[in-house]
Amino acid sequence: MAPLSYLAGERLRLTVEGAEPLVIELDVAEAGPPAEPAPGRLLRPLPVSAIDRVEGRRRFEVVVDGWRFEVAAEPARLADLRDRARRASAEHRPHATATVRAQIPGRIVTVHVAVGDAVATGQALLSIEAMKMENEVRAPRAGTIERVAVASGDRVELGDELVVME
Amino acid sequence: MNRPPAALRVAAAESRRPPFRRVLVANRGEIALRIIRACHELGCEAVAVHSDADAGAPFVRAADAAVRIGPASPVESYLRAEVIVEAALRSGAEAVHPGYGFLSERAAFAEACRAAGLVFVGPSPETLAGLGDKLAARRAAARAGVPVVPGTLEPAPVEAAAVDGLLAEAERIGWPLLVKAAAGGGGRGMRRVESPSELPAALAAAAHEAAAAFGDGAVYLERLVSGARHVEVQLLGDTAGSVVALGERDCSVQRRHQKLVEEAPAPGLSEAQRRALHRLAVAVAREVGLVNAATAEFLWTPEGEPYFLEVNARLQVEHGVTELVTGLDLVQEQLRVAAGEPLSPAVLAAAERAATPERHAIEVRIGAEDPARDFAPVPGTITEWHEPGGPGVRVDAGVEAGSRVSGDYDPLLAKLLVVAEDRPAALDRLRRALDELRVAGIQTTLPFHRWLAGHAAFVGAELATDFVARHWQPAEARATAAREAAMLAAAARTGSHARKAVPASQAGQPAHDGRGPEDAGAGRTSGWREQGRLEATARWPR
Repeated sequence: MAPLSYLAGERLRLTVEGAEPLVIELDVAEAGPPAEPAPGRLLRPLPVSAIDRVEGRRRFEVVVDGWRFEVAAEPARLADLRDRARRASAEHRPHATATVRAQIPGRIVTVHVAVGDAVATGQALLSIEAMKMENEVRAPRAGTIERVAVASGDRVELGDELVVME
Repeated sequence: MNRPPAALRVAAAESRRPPFRRVLVANRGEIALRIIRACHELGCEAVAVHSDADAGAPFVRAADAAVRIGPASPVESYLRAEVIVEAALRSGAEAVHPGYGFLSERAAFAEACRAAGLVFVGPSPETLAGLGDKLAARRAAARAGVPVVPGTLEPAPVEAAAVDGLLAEAERIGWPLLVKAAAGGGGRGMRRVESPSELPAALAAAAHEAAAAFGDGAVYLERLVSGARHVEVQLLGDTAGSVVALGERDCSVQRRHQKLVEEAPAPGLSEAQRRALHRLAVAVAREVGLVNAATAEFLWTPEGEPYFLEVNARLQVEHGVTELVTGLDLVQEQLRVAAGEPLSPAVLAAAERAATPERHAIEVRIGAEDPARDFAPVPGTITEWHEPGGPGVRVDAGVEAGSRVSGDYDPLLAKLLVVAEDRPAALDRLRRALDELRVAGIQTTLPFHRWLAGHAAFVGAELATDFVARHWQPAEARATAAREAAMLAAAARTGSHARKAVPASQAGQPAHDGRGPEDAGAGRTSGWREQGRLEATARWPR
């Protein structure tokens, strides 16, 4: 692929991925030179998908003081366009659903909710046992349970659908 | 150290027969590798057993032979006593070392080994059966005149009707108190009770959890000793009935009743306190007829009083700190004792010096856990693994670059241990070693340990089992690190392209990581330095 060349004045959007993503935009001139390896710091490129490539996005795994992050870096103007397109399509949808997925592989211990239950933000939906520990899966927002995809005793893999909320 | 000259050592090694010809290691990960190393140093062959998930793991490759025992799930592999005994017999092993966890404290497994003519490297099945029941252990300690945490010594009734009779007992113990499972461990089957009204529900819940987790719903009451430290004593006994204490460890830094950091000796104890504590531990061990290695756990109150908690009749995860302070190899001593040898002169000498330690060792557990999310386990694949080295550093690891960390097992990846002449020097060494440790691909407990090693309360040895709950507030540190990660990614993304268009006044600004503008001015126009950095980044990590 052709390398995207950057000019001062162009803006870069950085998204530190996670449950609560951190989004920073800055002028490429502020980015500074690549840092040299320092104690507790690591940076390595992650593989990019075809879509990443088209949108000029690159991904990095960055470790700072032992904290591990995945950071996407992309041209801010392309990210803005994409966001606008996404908002537009969301407005056309009558109602949004939220799918709760397994953050860790493991075994379902208890399912606390059933279809039709109204749940509040942070309410425990079910618990997964992994590595000898029970982990509560909580509702990301308030809503009604539309579907429960698992039962106690089921094994789930990373990313498996657990509960769909309306 | 008082070691004989090299020539004599060679002669001794030639004359000393290995305790066993072949030993089967009934465990996985770092502890299996640790045991295999001890076997090899003693001249024993080591047989590994492994699940499908562990095929090709470092401990399997280190062994002289390996036997597959089943799929990844522990109940279908590492917990199948009969399959492991069969593997031992078929591979010609004479002894079985169970490590910690899994089958290590199951009396039935020790019995199955004995019945098959194999030596179980650990206490007798009878001792294991007695110690597995915490209530029986509490009674044994009380018989030996060792103070136990105030509470009940018999199983508590859990039926609602009988709970009334227990209330008087509970009042005597005092509030808040703990309901604990007799067969419990790792905080399971444990409930904190603030007031009489909560007692019936807590008893029922704890009994239910204990029955589900351990197949035994017996529970008892114990006073909640607040502000206490967790201090434990390393014990070693031989078949002739000699038992010695090899020093104590402080393991107060815990989360969810599981240890994160351990050190030896326990800071702040006087020689007299150490001697008294070691005596209590030996008294309990004698009472239960302990053979081989075990640990007596105590609560150490803020007033400096020890209360017996329980005996773990196996090698502990944290045995290494005691090894670094005493100079012993506890696994080798376990194997010798299991072969019927008496406690070695080195062990007896170390026991003599146990109350006057001359070194300090600290261990931190590197686990696949997210310290920002209450230490939730995070399985994944390790893409980079670089261990620290140098003087006074030991790493017991079960993983390497490329290892898949499965959700089927305990998240412990490795133990980083340091030893130095005293605690401040050990802390300096720990910080240095943590700087050298590099892990990529998964989140680990590393940020917690880096924070801890510099935290005033830990440096000041203000230890208590609620240390983590009280002091660990990761949100801010993680947010700062996230911002820095974004800046590092930005710099890597733009490379030197942007720099060419930047006025010199801006280019000379200090880099975001606080480093000085060492290359401001001179050399800027040629770009050779940026080019070098770009190339370094492309190669990095090596």
